[in-house]
Formats: sequence, C-alpha cells, structure tokens
Amino acid sequence: MELKAKILYNDRLAEGYFRLGLSCGMAEVRAGHFVMLKVSNGLDPLLRRPLGIYRPLGAKGKGAGVELLYRVVGRGTGILSLKRPGETLGVLGPLGNGFADPPEDRKIVMLAGGMGIVPLYMLAKKARGATLLFGARTKKETFLLKDFRAMGLKIKTATEDGSAGTKGFVTELLASGITPETTVYACGPVGMLKAAAMITNKAGAKCLVSLERSMACGIGVCLGCAVRTRARHEEKENRFYKMVCSDGPVFDSEEIDWDVL
Amino acid sequence: MGRALKRENPLEVRIAGLSFKNPVMTASGTFGYGSEFAPYMDLNKLGAIVVKGLSLYPRQGNPGPRIVETPSGMLNAIGLQNVGVDDFIERKLPLLKGVDTHVIANIFGETVEDYVEVARRLDAAKGVAALEINISCPNVKKGGIVFGTDPNEAFKVVSAVRKATRLPVITKLSPNVTDIKVMVKAAEDGGSDAISLINTITGMAIDVERRRPVLATATGGLSGPAIRPIAVRMVWQAAQVAKVPIIGMGGIVTAKDALEFIIAGATAVQVGTANFIEPDASVKVVDGIEEYLVRKNMKLEELIGSLRSG
Repeated sequence: MELKAKILYNDRLAEGYFRLGLSCGMAEVRAGHFVMLKVSNGLDPLLRRPLGIYRPLGAKGKGAGVELLYRVVGRGTGILSLKRPGETLGVLGPLGNGFADPPEDRKIVMLAGGMGIVPLYMLAKKARGATLLFGARTKKETFLLKDFRAMGLKIKTATEDGSAGTKGFVTELLASGITPETTVYACGPVGMLKAAAMITNKAGAKCLVSLERSMACGIGVCLGCAVRTRARHEEKENRFYKMVCSDGPVFDSEEIDWDVL
Repeated sequence: MGRALKRENPLEVRIAGLSFKNPVMTASGTFGYGSEFAPYMDLNKLGAIVVKGLSLYPRQGNPGPRIVETPSGMLNAIGLQNVGVDDFIERKLPLLKGVDTHVIANIFGETVEDYVEVARRLDAAKGVAALEINISCPNVKKGGIVFGTDPNEAFKVVSAVRKATRLPVITKLSPNVTDIKVMVKAAEDGGSDAISLINTITGMAIDVERRRPVLATATGGLSGPAIRPIAVRMVWQAAQVAKVPIIGMGGIVTAKDALEFIIAGATAVQVGTANFIEPDASVKVVDGIEEYLVRKNMKLEELIGSLRSG
C-alpha cells in the first residue's frame, strides 16, 4: 500500500545535495532497499522517483520513518528539493531485495562512487572493521563520508581531479588487497561497477553490486528497468533479463552481462 | 442460498455474453499477470484483469533503456517480454484462482498461425474468460506489415482466431492509422465480439547531449495522460460505426477520465499506465464511477454513448 509520508526535514547538505527525513510507518528496511516517491500531485512529472534508503528513523513499527539522501539531477528531484517540512509525499516501499548482512568470515570492502554511498550506510553499521573505498569527482563530494568517519572503518578516498585522497578512479584502490576471501559491496556509476566486476573476477573475490535504472513502477510489472544477465536460453526461467526493481537492485556481479549495460 | 431480492448492480455491463461487475479493467502490459498487484489492492474489485500479452513461446523483450518519461506520459519499448502461453497457463493463471473477476488473456504473434495456436491453448485452459488480440505486431511472413494498420491483415488474423476459440474475442486496435473506422470494420468483419482501443501511439525521444535516441529501439509506444484526448477522440469515432461493444483506454487516471470514454461510447474502460504510479488506481476509478452514477441517478448502461451534441 502507498504510505503517506510526512516530511520531517529536507535539508540541503551541499549545493544540489539533500537529506530527506520521512515519517511514514514503514516496514523494516535493510541496506539497498529503495522507495518510489511521488514528487508531484499532478500529472507532470508523471512517474514516481526511485530513491535509495539511507537509514531508518525512529523506533521500528508504527511511526517509524526513513532518511533518504538525494542529489538534484532533474525535474523530479528539483521539485522534491523545494518541499518543506510538514508536507506529505506518497511513498511505496521498502522495495527491492537489498544487501544480505555481510558474513562474519569474509573480508568486507565497500566501494562507493559519489551518491553510490547511500545504500552502504546500513551495511557499514553491520560490517565492523570493513574498508570503505570512496570515489568522487572532487573534494566537494567528500562531505558524504561524514557519517561514516565515526564507524571505525578503514576509509580510502580517490578523486578524479586529485583534490582529495588519491588522484584517479576509486577502482584503482580496489585492485590491491582483495583476495578470494573478500566480498565487495559496490554502488556507483556503471563504469565503476563494470571495472569492479572485472577486478574482483580476476582476484577470485565476490562482488555484489547495486544497480540503478530508469523505472516506472518499482514493483516488477512495467518491465522497464531490465538488465541483461549472462543466462543462456536453455537455462531455467528462460530469462535473459532481470528487473532492477524486483530482482535487484542488488545482483552478484557475475550475473550481469556488463558488455551491454 | 437465501432468496433475498437480488439487488441490481448499477455498474454492471455486458460484453460478448459476459457480465462484468463494473466497467473497469486493467490494461495489458501494465498489470503483470495480475497476482503481482494483490499486495496493493483487492483484485476482486476489478471488472476484469487483462494480463500481459502472451506469445506462443517466451519472449525476452528488448534491450534497455526500455522506458523514458515524457510530459504527462511515458514511452516504452519493452518488446512484449512474456513467459509464453504454456508457462502462463501452468504457473501464472492458477495464482488468480479464487479471485472474483474475469481474466482476459491478451495474445499476439508474428504470424496468423502463432495467434491461432496461442488462442487454441488458452481455449483449453480453465479460468480465461475472453481473449484480447493485440494486432500491433508486424506480420513476419508478410514482410513486417503490421497487422494492426492494414485492414486486410487485421481481418485475416481476427477471423482466424475467431475460428480457433469458443471464447469471446476482443480486438485491440492501434491508433497508428489514418482512419480508425476502417479498422473497426475489419475487426467486426473478422468476427470480433468487441473492440478495445487505443494501444500506444508511436513516439520518440532524443538525448540531445549524446544525439542518440533515448530508447534502445529508437521508437516506442507513448502512453499516459498525454494521449487521452486522442484516445477519447478515437473511441468517439469508433462508436459512430461500431456494432460491437467498445472498451476504451488511453491515459485514464481518474474516474472522470474513464467517464469521458464511457460517454463517448465505450461500454468499459481499461486503466493502464496509472497502475505503475498508483497500483490501486483502477479501484479508485471504480469508486469514482459509482459516486458519479449515484449523483446522476443513472445506471452505467444509460451513460454509454450518452454524449450530447454540440
């Protein structure tokens, strides 16, 4: 059912970045879950916007809410950024499979590109001693690490312009120090995920990715957010394509056909 | 069973010998195989569920991107991805057992023989109330001429399906034609018991930064409120010549939208794209139509085609 979410806060964190607190009585959420948010009561923009859940708010059960972090990238998020506390938004969620809890016997590496850090917050809470590799264009985006700094993680940063951390792509940091005992949890731009899939495959490590695609429904029926898998025709289910919303957004990187993504 | 007086249901409509508890159906391709929506609404409240288009064999669909939002609408090029008719009968149809509504199976093929075989298999299945023929597919044997835009091809496929099944046959018409009345006539001549319209309108969106089409297939089908005035116009035109009942659709979000179609001449309506945004949109449409009928002190049947002139 659609939840009527009351906006608790919609704070600007930095130019174009916002933190949205919603009170909506949502079921228990896990890392990688998302919501479909109706930003307009009118017909334009028509579709809901998929936004990743950052963390739960308040006590579990009735009245519990969620916090979302979003970046203004188009009209939908632009409209959202103008919403004030006290206004209500129609929300479907939590949706998607989410990340399973990190196993104790694995070495955990989290890999985030920019806003790809959003689904990793709840995961980081459960992954003590894990490494977080954060990639961004410039130092400006490193404010996204603030909540992670007090978690006892080993944090390494790479920026494309070298204004913070190592200069270059964050996946260059990934190449060293992963073994077959490592599980990488990755979210970010397709190029980064593709590189992570290659590097982990080569190292014999496991890699779980959270994908993003345009979607209309979020509940597995419009079939708009299809990603091609490596499944062959003769295999069970006979499906080349999986849906990011209902089969994912988290997939084993080995499952995805990266050549056509 | 008690012998209480059977109260007349003001929302009831009849199409091709079937009684529908209300005129609101869910449009094919927007409602999965039905059971996906059970967590979001009471499926028993629907007039009918029209399931995702079924082909003889499973279809994988098109590469992505498959959808893009447009002003008050969306373009899609899903590519008719579906589990295939056998899997539908075996695994999807049983999930709707016990749901008190009609299940209408939408069918398509690339040859007349494909359509006929799908129709035959559904005819033998229990729980399918009617077939809706999607004629918006290219006939591969005829060099890709779309069944839905050539009245002769439409006639051939409709009459072949008509002969292959005892079930009521609804023909879903494409709006991508010059004169919808010609297509209405072709469907009727082929033996269609009802017609439904409109399917999506061919459209295109371009990513100007990359100077590429947004959709992987370049063009796609436009749906949503953006197409509603076109759909209402076509239903109205179809109603002027149609002898069989019309099921109207195209951008219906609210009861008021649905009423436009009914007043224009539709006996029933289908809610499509709105299901993506509000999973229970169709139930809200049912409730709104009921409120309107109470307010106007009318039965639905009196409202059909009741458009006053000028």
